[in-house]
Amino acid sequence: MTPDRTLDCVGLFCPMPIIKTKQEMDTMKTGEVLEILADDPGFEKDLPEWCKATGQKLIEIKKEGGLLKGYITKTK
Amino acid sequence: MTIILFSGEMDKAIAAFTLATTAASSGMDVTIFFTFWGLNIIKKTRFTIAKPQMLMQKMFNIMSTSKLPISKLDFFGLGPWMMRKLMKKSKMASLEDLMKLAKELKVKYIACTTSCGVLGLSKGNLIDDVSEFAGAMTYLAEAKESKINLFI
Repeated sequence: MTPDRTLDCVGLFCPMPIIKTKQEMDTMKTGEVLEILADDPGFEKDLPEWCKATGQKLIEIKKEGGLLKGYITKTK
Repeated sequence: MTIILFSGEMDKAIAAFTLATTAASSGMDVTIFFTFWGLNIIKKTRFTIAKPQMLMQKMFNIMSTSKLPISKLDFFGLGPWMMRKLMKKSKMASLEDLMKLAKELKVKYIACTTSCGVLGLSKGNLIDDVSEFAGAMTYLAEAKESKINLFI
């Protein structure tokens, strides 16, 4: 899967990765995939919850060392 | 979501605005009702002293500046300075950043008219982001429709 865009949130703490994800998604088209890079450990739980709350689709969130990589599809 | 922001400390305000911006980012309508010391967060200037204020009102508006203290280890202003330094170093969002985002995310601000009256504050003393000046009933009407209601 190749993401349409990548959002770098490395070094940022809650609530910034979620807010930046929202702002980035607002500028994207339905069906596009966003990759989010983050290193705030809380983001691993927060991103799936944000997707649940907003109805966006979580493809996966994976850990590579201290780095979190989240993939979401814009559904609406 | 609604928040009653009663406290005027920087750390408590950061907690409130962290939740407000996150909720607004996930599609919730967010209202913050500023009352008592919480009004210090939305004052335009550090010393909000105006002519029609009584002496005691002036004193409250000198002592409770919008340069906010923190709730623990304030050390007469050294604490907030250290906290700001640490937050900047660790790239944590500052209160100013969060308030700017809250505005972008259309968080609604209501200022309590009773507290404004007690402290001698008028519309012009508070930031323009305040959309309503109202009382407890207006807050309750919003809170009744909301699933999350916090008092900070």
